[in-house]
Amino acid sequence: MSETASMKIETFFTIEMPYRERMEIRRAVFTGGDGPRASVVAGIHGDELEGLYVCHLLAAWLERLQRTSPGGLLGSVELYPATNTLGLDTLTRGIPVFDTDLNRSFPGSIDGPLPERLAAALMTALSGSALVVDIHASNIYLREIPQVRINQEFDDLLVPLARHMNLDLIWLHGAATVLETTVAHSLNSCGTPCLVAEMGVGMRITPEYCSQLMAGILNVWRNIGILADDVEIPEICHTPMIADDSNVHYLNAQTSGLFVPAKSHWTNVRRGEILGTIVSPFRGETLSEVRSPVDGVLFTLREYPLVYEGSLMARVMSRKGGMS
Amino acid sequence: MIRDLLCMTAPVRERFDIPCHEIGPKTLHLGAAFVAGLHGDEINGIFILSRLADFLNCVEAGKYPELRLLRRVLIIPAVNVLGVNLRTRTWPFDKSDLNRMFPGSTTGETTQRIAYALLEATKRADYRIDIHTASADFEEIPQVRLHGPSDAERKTALFGLPAVMERSLSPVFSTTLLASWRVWPGQSFVLRVGQAGLVQLDHCQRVFRSLVAFLGRVGILEGVDIAAEDEEVCCFNKASAFRVYAEKAGTFVSDRQVGRWVGSGQELGYIYDSFSGNVIEKVISPVAGLLTGVRRHPLLFEGDLILRVNKKG
Repeated sequence: MSETASMKIETFFTIEMPYRERMEIRRAVFTGGDGPRASVVAGIHGDELEGLYVCHLLAAWLERLQRTSPGGLLGSVELYPATNTLGLDTLTRGIPVFDTDLNRSFPGSIDGPLPERLAAALMTALSGSALVVDIHASNIYLREIPQVRINQEFDDLLVPLARHMNLDLIWLHGAATVLETTVAHSLNSCGTPCLVAEMGVGMRITPEYCSQLMAGILNVWRNIGILADDVEIPEICHTPMIADDSNVHYLNAQTSGLFVPAKSHWTNVRRGEILGTIVSPFRGETLSEVRSPVDGVLFTLREYPLVYEGSLMARVMSRKGGMS
Repeated sequence: MIRDLLCMTAPVRERFDIPCHEIGPKTLHLGAAFVAGLHGDEINGIFILSRLADFLNCVEAGKYPELRLLRRVLIIPAVNVLGVNLRTRTWPFDKSDLNRMFPGSTTGETTQRIAYALLEATKRADYRIDIHTASADFEEIPQVRLHGPSDAERKTALFGLPAVMERSLSPVFSTTLLASWRVWPGQSFVLRVGQAGLVQLDHCQRVFRSLVAFLGRVGILEGVDIAAEDEEVCCFNKASAFRVYAEKAGTFVSDRQVGRWVGSGQELGYIYDSFSGNVIEKVISPVAGLLTGVRRHPLLFEGDLILRVNKKG
């Protein structure tokens, strides 16, 4: 259905369900000039809502741009806020019924079951974009600072783009730890640059993080010619730190119980400082103290208090210096 | 002997463990390792391995004087113990798939620690067998699944099950138990038996017999009489598989059994409109071959896999 001359909401994937309904997945398309196309994907996991709000902020900004400066959009923008529609509808991380993680289904297949078909349809729709940003919101257990995660296999292409994203961390992952069946890996492997943004926590939105990422996405779009150079965008004031396998320290629970944080998320911590405790719900006993192994930044903190032995409670990054 | 593979704490209940059976001579080297229940809803494998443990313990106790266990055997009927008790496929606390956690770690997440302990206990066995089912929606013929096998594995895979299915290695499987086993010397197999959520007695009995025959063939169990029926095996590569997907959504009904030979064009089921009750599609076999898998959940999305027929030769 056309909303305005240069903005429309359209169905890009549809499939028949067992009892009379069709599942339809929609995208918002903003068309300006003949310049490059940018895409934003959110809601691949049905319990991650931060990206939906980023899409809303971007849509609101683009609608305002069309009213105030119609020539400012040199290319086109496609927003896919709810790719796992059924999961979002039902508070389910994977695709309901199929019990499948959509982000482990790429590149998919046009004639398989729903997850395969949807993955294939997304690959077709997103391929050829000048940039795809795939927004994730951790999960219900952990809170993350705004960051970009990049497979080192593609860092030459992606790090320069990520530097403009107004986020606080670029985390480079070794190739061996990257899952090849994600949308990002599949797109990057076939020549469409895709950045994975990760922030906040599952089933919630963090408005300040969403606004921060929105500004970063607009900044990148201006750099790659989606937006005109003279378009005004929100202030860019975040410079990313760099993390990789050498300076990220994982704190996994040594025993099971109730994790109570002693430090706030995204604060500087000192080596040996107590980050939290694991306590017994039955007795007044502290079962374990969780201490920082290094001087650094507490960039991941557990949000869901119950822990099993081995559950991740925090990640601390020792500083390697910012990127300027 | 029963021992704990791993013992861990839990937040609000007693400690939990993963018990296993260790049966046979106390030799240093492990002859065979059998694993099931990585997914908590795959009950066929759990039942088969618990029965196999009972049988081998009886052999050890001298209740079958014609049989003798020559090598040590490790049997873990269920790895995802909490998942079995709560009837969930995944690890119930964080919904992670235990068979995507390998090779695991001693310092990582709970499921990575379980994966590490399992791999350490089994990786040095000469023969390693991991038993699965299809999902609760689909029934598979009892089969050996080979993923990029060695020639030796192809030869040994003749367990006596009705089918051996060969597949190429896929990135999807790089974090499975099978992929981690394959790094080590020895032979590794995945068996797929029936569908999740059920004990399918015919399938279980067939697989039980085939595992006993297998132990006889590889020289771990002496005195096994291998029945002629267990020698009839069809080997299928990927190209031999013909799948039928639902062109329309609706309600699928079929009374066909897996493991039967079907003709090209033979009617195998119907798709009904779930609201009007009209037949909207006759499901026919695309080729003559063995019916190796059939959908059992009646409600179909467009595109769902309905059945698979494998063409012989």
